[in-house]
Amino acid sequence: MPVPSRLDRYIETEKQRHFPRDFMVGWEAYETWDEAAVGQSGPGQRRFKITEEDILDYNRACGETDPLMIDPEYARNKSPTGELLQHPVFVTTIAFYSLGERGIGTWIRTPGARNPHQCIEIVEPFRYGEIITTTVTTADKFTQRGKPYLQMLLDFRNEKDALKARWWCSLILPGTRADVARLANA
Amino acid sequence: MSILFRNIEAGYKFTPVVQSYVQSAIDHYALASLDMNPVHTNEEWAARAKVFGIPETVGHGMMTMSTLASVVIREWGVIGKDGGSIRFVDAKFTKPVKVGETVTAMGTVKRKHHHGPGKNWVLIAVEAKDSAGDLIGLAEVGYNLPD
Repeated sequence: MPVPSRLDRYIETEKQRHFPRDFMVGWEAYETWDEAAVGQSGPGQRRFKITEEDILDYNRACGETDPLMIDPEYARNKSPTGELLQHPVFVTTIAFYSLGERGIGTWIRTPGARNPHQCIEIVEPFRYGEIITTTVTTADKFTQRGKPYLQMLLDFRNEKDALKARWWCSLILPGTRADVARLANA
Repeated sequence: MSILFRNIEAGYKFTPVVQSYVQSAIDHYALASLDMNPVHTNEEWAARAKVFGIPETVGHGMMTMSTLASVVIREWGVIGKDGGSIRFVDAKFTKPVKVGETVTAMGTVKRKHHHGPGKNWVLIAVEAKDSAGDLIGLAEVGYNLPD
């Protein structure tokens, strides 16, 4: 089940060109609710190099119009960092890119997942050229009103090990791999 | 007025943000965030899977979270002219945003946290509603303010 081709018109960044966009391919390797273990921790599959185009496209997709967020030349002259300012929810892009398609935290790609609650803490702005490592820790796993919830804590650190942001990411997931299969094959 | 801790009181209201969730906007958000879940982008799959009980695509929760946060950053800045900055965004989602919806988000300063010079911040309550007036999400946004 390929991703609709109409989305190609929005491809703006190098990462978007190479990112595995079809979440239905390889779902068998995603971590599932019934297999996740609280306390398990590890790095994401990929590191994320911060680029101007990544920030620019996220800001545009959010509908921002502040030139400090969408005009690179203006930002070079006027921004307090000399760079585009990133939307505070930009860590979403880093997480989806970094977690990859196999292993801990990949339940973020689950077809049929529902989003109940998210919390993002900003420590300091990301800067162009930083290489961000995402560390995933399975933080909580519970059922509420019959629904399976999973939460992970994502720490985003640069190459100097400085903490840039944290994301407590929660989703309501299909309960078992068989449930994921049903949705993936719907 | 400078956006300083001493100038801002509980009850301060932000200019509402109105955001369209047409499929092209959802598609752009999917690419920008790399959240390519088919419930957002694949109409045929969404019609069969009915993840939210409806046969349509829906906007990303993270797109709603972005709209909620935008209420604050569009008025005060990600990093403000006076030195303020976003501290955290804590969002809950109460109803899926169906494709084609228009979302309106509004924010109000709820309380002031007096942590001392250089450490003060305010908590802003933001809520977003769809075109039927139903609550689709709410957030608490922490914002550091210079004294």
